[in-house]
Amino acid sequence: MGKRQLRGAENGDGPRKRQRVVHEAPTSEVIHTSRQLRQLLAFDPDLGRSRHGLQSFKLLLDSLLSRDDDTDSAEKRQQHELRFTIVKEYLQSTKPTEDDENSTYLPDIMQTWSHAGQVNNENLLSAVPVVLALLLKLLSQSLELTPIGLGICRTLLQKRQQELISRSLSADKGKAFIISPTLRMLREAVCFDGGAIARPMFRARMSMLKSLARNMGIVHIGEEPEDIKKPSPRTNAVQFFLSALKYLHPEAKKELLAQRDVVTALTRDIKQDLPYLVLDLLNGLRDYVLLDSKVPREAKSNLLSSTTLIKISGLYYYRQANDDLPSIPDAAHDFLMTACANPSCGVLRQDTGLYPREADPNAAIPSADLEELGLEAIVWMNKFKTEVPVRNFVLSNLLQNLRPWSSVKQSELITSIFKVAPELIADFFIKNKSFTFEPKLSATWIGYAAFLFNTVALPLPEYFCRGSGYAELPPPTSIVMDNILPLPLNQKALSRCLTNKSRMISFFATRILILAVQKLDTAVKMHQDPAHSSKFHNNQALWTEAARRLIDEFCQRSPGIKEMINSYRSIPEDDILHREAASQLLRLYYEVIPQVALMAKFDVAPLLETALRRLSKQKQQKETRSEEVGEDDPRDFALSLKELENLLAIAGYSPGMRWFTATEQLTLSPFLTLLKVYVEAPHGVSLAPVRQVLDFVAVEQQVVPAKDKGHPGISVLLETLKELMASSPSSLAVLWPFLDKCLTRCTTAPVKYLEMLQDLGPKDAEDEVRTVNPLVAAIIEQLPFAAKAADSKSTLDGLGRFLPKFLGYSAAAGESKPLLEAALAVMSDSFAKGLGKSLAVPKKHPFKQAGVGKSIQAKQDRNNTAANGDKPESGDDIAALDSEQLERVLDVPDNLATDNSALVKWQSKSVDELVDEGYAISLISLLASEHASIRKEALVNILKMASKVQQSEYEEKEQIWLLLSELAETARVAAASQAINAVAPLPSTIVAFACHAVNVLRDPTHSLYPKINSFLTRGPFWSVDRVPLADEVLTEEPAVGDSYYSQLNWLLAYLLDGLRTSKDLELFHKKRAKGPLFERLLAVAGNPYMRTPLRMQVLRILYRASKIEGGSTTLVTRFGVVSWLEELLKMKKSMSATQSQGGAGTVVSSEDEVAAYKGLLKRIWETCDKGRVEGWSKGGVESVIV
Amino acid sequence: MSDSKQMSQQEVSAEFTSYYLQRATKEFAEDLDKVRTADDFKNDAIHLLVNALQQGTALFSPEEQRRIVESGAERK
Repeated sequence: MGKRQLRGAENGDGPRKRQRVVHEAPTSEVIHTSRQLRQLLAFDPDLGRSRHGLQSFKLLLDSLLSRDDDTDSAEKRQQHELRFTIVKEYLQSTKPTEDDENSTYLPDIMQTWSHAGQVNNENLLSAVPVVLALLLKLLSQSLELTPIGLGICRTLLQKRQQELISRSLSADKGKAFIISPTLRMLREAVCFDGGAIARPMFRARMSMLKSLARNMGIVHIGEEPEDIKKPSPRTNAVQFFLSALKYLHPEAKKELLAQRDVVTALTRDIKQDLPYLVLDLLNGLRDYVLLDSKVPREAKSNLLSSTTLIKISGLYYYRQANDDLPSIPDAAHDFLMTACANPSCGVLRQDTGLYPREADPNAAIPSADLEELGLEAIVWMNKFKTEVPVRNFVLSNLLQNLRPWSSVKQSELITSIFKVAPELIADFFIKNKSFTFEPKLSATWIGYAAFLFNTVALPLPEYFCRGSGYAELPPPTSIVMDNILPLPLNQKALSRCLTNKSRMISFFATRILILAVQKLDTAVKMHQDPAHSSKFHNNQALWTEAARRLIDEFCQRSPGIKEMINSYRSIPEDDILHREAASQLLRLYYEVIPQVALMAKFDVAPLLETALRRLSKQKQQKETRSEEVGEDDPRDFALSLKELENLLAIAGYSPGMRWFTATEQLTLSPFLTLLKVYVEAPHGVSLAPVRQVLDFVAVEQQVVPAKDKGHPGISVLLETLKELMASSPSSLAVLWPFLDKCLTRCTTAPVKYLEMLQDLGPKDAEDEVRTVNPLVAAIIEQLPFAAKAADSKSTLDGLGRFLPKFLGYSAAAGESKPLLEAALAVMSDSFAKGLGKSLAVPKKHPFKQAGVGKSIQAKQDRNNTAANGDKPESGDDIAALDSEQLERVLDVPDNLATDNSALVKWQSKSVDELVDEGYAISLISLLASEHASIRKEALVNILKMASKVQQSEYEEKEQIWLLLSELAETARVAAASQAINAVAPLPSTIVAFACHAVNVLRDPTHSLYPKINSFLTRGPFWSVDRVPLADEVLTEEPAVGDSYYSQLNWLLAYLLDGLRTSKDLELFHKKRAKGPLFERLLAVAGNPYMRTPLRMQVLRILYRASKIEGGSTTLVTRFGVVSWLEELLKMKKSMSATQSQGGAGTVVSSEDEVAAYKGLLKRIWETCDKGRVEGWSKGGVESVIV
Repeated sequence: MSDSKQMSQQEVSAEFTSYYLQRATKEFAEDLDKVRTADDFKNDAIHLLVNALQQGTALFSPEEQRRIVESGAERK
């Protein structure tokens, strides 16, 4: 096939190429007079001459506009004056005689322009607007000529000119030389005289704003950056638009912003714009739209669409060469912060906090449904796990386009938006699935961690719904959870962070978790707010259920406590910042979710010892280096103390803490080491928490007399040691091991030393109250051994200084003088034997110092009171809880409350779900139902479930099967005594036991696992008259480590669930071999070492009993509960002075506890059969209570 | 303390932040070096890093910050 010939070539027409337009440079001349100017501008059909005139005028205007009064010479200024006069005279000479709307200014120029339009001369179509733009600019600087300028502007609004403007604006895209000057001219016109004609110009918008969107799209093309002196049509169009916005009235702005194409074009190419234009644009939109309160919200919303916001957010990556101007990324950030976080800017919509758009927080749900189904009755409760409908969809779109991990500013923007629109938190992380928190030591991971930290640090919305009070229904648990631990912070990722070999990664994860647990605490407290059970709302049970669910979900999403403990253990000793954070996290777990914390058998003693040892080391270093240029930093010491505080709190919460057992690493016991830290601490370091623990442990371990007799407790010892520290540090140093030995002996055999003391005193003073510090007796006993030891001399020297002071202060503190005198005599003997002389200062009677001692005691007391925040020491002033408060503290919802849907629900679930997610438990609970048909159904289903479990691959299937089968058998045997086929309602204790046993069986590490298994293998069914496992827990050895208290906790929880009816009550007061159950529970709670939470659990059981008919009467008449509570009150009073809130790790403060006892006393009195009780006690009970 | 005037909360906060950063950079020096050589470490990453490290000061209450800062002032 031959090559195709060009058609044109044959005709000789040449190639059909578009001809290149050549712009000839216009000619010009210098203007000397106004007359000359007038002639030059007079209409001339010759296009060349017209252009010559306009060009000459342009040069004249250019020179006038370039003048600078500050730098120009006098001669130059004179020239300017002359030239300005030329223009002025010209304008006045051409001014129309009548000044009205229709009069035409500059008629010659307008005619030339019109002619150019007719003959389509592009040079002139460009030259006229150029000249007019310059002229208006010049006139805007002269007050005198303003009327003429206004006349010119009005002339532009005449029909003929409007057509020309419209035509020029919509010229071909390539005709920038026509479009740009026209836009410049319009901009000058709209700004003229403070926007005097902006309104009529807007009326003529069909022509004036013609092709505005299109023109905004004609950007500068080429490799070189845009020249500021030759701005592109886009630049001119944007500037014209901004000027129009500035001067237009709000309604016009609204209409202008409703033009979607213009608004879109405005920011479409913003990334390529010159820095000054970007700044103008951002500032203009902010000042004339966002912050203009008269612009309707709708108009603002039109401007700030997702597209606009995303385009502006692209400016975070704007590359700016010119440093003279403010930073564009910063300006964009400020703009977005204003636009997105300020509700008046049109983007942000008011949300309802953690309740998504489709969830009605006050939906009316029939109370029967709520009672039966609980949270499941709320249709939307589980709906928002994969998608959250939000009101702020524009912001939601924007957020997905931001990269918070790579920029601090973007992270700040997102968190600011989260703060004002909390609904977006869950939404953001659900949509943003691509980014995980898998640990990697990179800037991006750290940026993401920082962003997540800020997100978790955000407070929860007020009342969850941002309203003025709580809503009827709790917010969806998943949403609350996403606010506490956002989705990327899942168990797997967090665990990997904690175990990561890079310690910084573990540090970051720890810090986030600290915030999360604190936030969880707040959320749970909000769920427990008394407002939920006010007279307007009565959904306390529902909210309590939601709180429980929240904690469950948190535990599923947070890493295991063991990982946290291991992570803490692996931190090097010198990394005190990291250690402080890790210990704080553990402490929070003990405080907020103790059920999880106590699951790990965490022995805090070794860590406490490490901390104490390090503190001693730091102190030694401080002493040895004090003269050198300080390498040590006292702030490190203060920071380490904070770690110590955390550990002390954990020790307070841990049931198995051994305060008086020294280990290999530590020469002294933890208590003595702590005492040493306290006594030797540098001045200025706050030791209040250490002091609280010392006080608490000393009283608890009975190394000092109880406070109920006005004894200041350990203050006597501390004061003596501090004085010795000040007067003779060296003699103190040798005393520590001796004191440790004596104190340890006191704790192991307190009774022995008390008896020893009593034997010391004169026999005739039987009636006198004889209080003496047991430590004195231990010292007497140990002195002979100290005297025999190798270093006896230094120890005895030290004791020679210590003992007189100590005995003197003890006497001043109100201890028995005769006994102390006797003790002194015995001690002197030992001294005589050891040193060959008696006590160094025996002649100076120690009690002469009593006066000093008294003043010190007074001071101590004041200090104590101050430290305790003026708490009443005796507890007498504490008011009893009223019935509502008591209900809140002690009333626990019935966990066996039946949910009939459990009959059906379990069938579709896997065995793992049945056991782990509570479906099995819900089904078992139905055996406690009051309806025989439900119980029958439940029994059939339990058997079905048992066989399903047996056939499964579930690890603990045998035990679960056995449990279910034995339970069913027990129910059947019980039924045998009743009508045929009827299933007797089992005692609640049996049902509750089965429920709680399921949770033990699924966790083979549970301390009760062996006991429950041996219980199950004992026989095919259980005796319904007995309380399973009560004996095993209460009397037998715990078998697994130090788990007595955790087993007790389990037992109390199940007993509480198992006490619901009067039939259950019978089981609690039935006579048994080892005494009725109630009696044993009361005895257990009398244990002074038992932690408050456990004792509160016993109180809850009593409270529950008081709700059952006859319960209170039985408690009073058969178990003496009134005296029992009185005794507890006395015990508390004696400890209240030392045991202040949190100091020694009590979850409930002494005051709360005392108030609870008093409240319970009142409650029992109110609910008992008063006549019977009065008769029984002969009026005694009433006198106690009333 | 050299000057008996009590530090304002702002001063305490600034001083504590500087101490916190100093402590953190000391404890995690090795890891920070590794981050600096990571591929994604660009100019503004330093800002990001400092910002991330000093966030932790929020976990200390104003009283705790003051206690730690003022124990340092004792030395002077």
